[in-house]
Amino acid sequence: MKKIAFILFSLFFIQTGFKPAGAIDTNAKIKAVFIYNFTKYIEWPKSYKEGEFIIGIIGESPLYSELTKMTQTKKVANQSLQVKKFNSADEVSKCHILYLSKDKSGEISSLLKSLKNNSTLIVTEQAGLVDKGAGINFIIKDNRQKFELNKGNVEKYKLKVSSSLEALAFTVK
Amino acid sequence: MKKGIYILSLTLLICNIAFAQFVGKDGVSKALFYLQKEELDSAKKYIDEAAVDSTINGEAKTWYYKGFIYKELYKTKEKDDKNSNFRLEAISALRKLTEIDKEQEFTESSSKMLNYLASTLYNDAARSLTPETYQLAQGNFDKYKETMILSNPKVELISQDVKFKLALASMLNQYAQQSGQVDSTKKEQIKSIYKEVIALDSNNGSAHYNVGILYYNDAADIINNMDYDMDLERLNELQDVCIDLFLKALPYMRKSYELGYNPKETLIGLKNIYHGLNDEEKEEIYNKELETLDSPDEK
Repeated sequence: MKKIAFILFSLFFIQTGFKPAGAIDTNAKIKAVFIYNFTKYIEWPKSYKEGEFIIGIIGESPLYSELTKMTQTKKVANQSLQVKKFNSADEVSKCHILYLSKDKSGEISSLLKSLKNNSTLIVTEQAGLVDKGAGINFIIKDNRQKFELNKGNVEKYKLKVSSSLEALAFTVK
Repeated sequence: MKKGIYILSLTLLICNIAFAQFVGKDGVSKALFYLQKEELDSAKKYIDEAAVDSTINGEAKTWYYKGFIYKELYKTKEKDDKNSNFRLEAISALRKLTEIDKEQEFTESSSKMLNYLASTLYNDAARSLTPETYQLAQGNFDKYKETMILSNPKVELISQDVKFKLALASMLNQYAQQSGQVDSTKKEQIKSIYKEVIALDSNNGSAHYNVGILYYNDAADIINNMDYDMDLERLNELQDVCIDLFLKALPYMRKSYELGYNPKETLIGLKNIYHGLNDEEKEEIYNKELETLDSPDEK
């Protein structure tokens, strides 16, 4: 029976199982799908419909690499997508969408100052920021990613919000 | 002409001498005669006749020798045949023997034969653990267990069963990963084998870990394959599906953690599951534990 045991043991020890699919940040992918959808429901002024469609990110976030991946296959109407990373709100240049990472949530006030006179959709992910100037804020409800919409904050930047987006938002202010 | 009559007479004489010893003998005796001469085909012919002869098929020796002859046939003619009918016939005869040998005259010898036949089934099961022949492996392993129980009804086979199922699931798992042929049926089949292991051995860390990872990967695959263009209603529906899968993965991965199975991989699994569940607090707990595990002080 020794030989038998050896045969099965050798098979037993090579078993490893699946490795977690770590190549993808599941939450970042879902946020990227949300962000791409926002471009369908929000209208930018005419001057923003030429050149590249720029999505800026302030701070470190796995969303950066996910959005960069998205630029390889997607466009917004005829505009190619470009993703820009900024270290702080002070560095921000012209963007169509600006995502303020959670770690940089404290920079919301300076961001609002930097974006004055721009047509930028500000997207955040920190409770309360939708009341402090963000147009859209990601929230977690029952383990799922949802978003809050502050229509007034969006329109302040000369952007038009589709009623369909309001219907899809978890809360609208 | 005279020469011809002489040759015919001589032939008849030889035949008479050869068969004279069978006069009044039963099929078992004839089979034994040929078995001693290592003429297994003839031995088979007579033992088969004996097995259907109502005058002797109630005797233990008939089934003992049938088992013996078929075992010898397997050894000499079908040793490399993983589907050998001779082997199955031998086991079947020895099963019959077990039923009728009330005096236990042949028990010890029969048990040795059954153990030998079981070992060949076990080896064939192990050798057949390939993507193409795993069903044969499963069949042979089931027969191995039946044969071992026949040899010793009190034999403990759970640990062997667990090892075989883990090896089977692992082989299917690796093949699916390497070939990229991971369809939902295959995933469910693999999950189901690991769950069978858990049913046999509730503290098997490997099975718990693998079921957890399989559920996790189901959710991760759905998210990975999402088109950025997907509308938000559909995205919400798929989030529901994925959360359900992450929640299914969680108890298995937690159990793997409790059992201390593969700590680093299990911590990565827990961290990723809580990440998928958008539970940052718990994700951070396991992330810190993972960092501690990875820190030089811990090595």
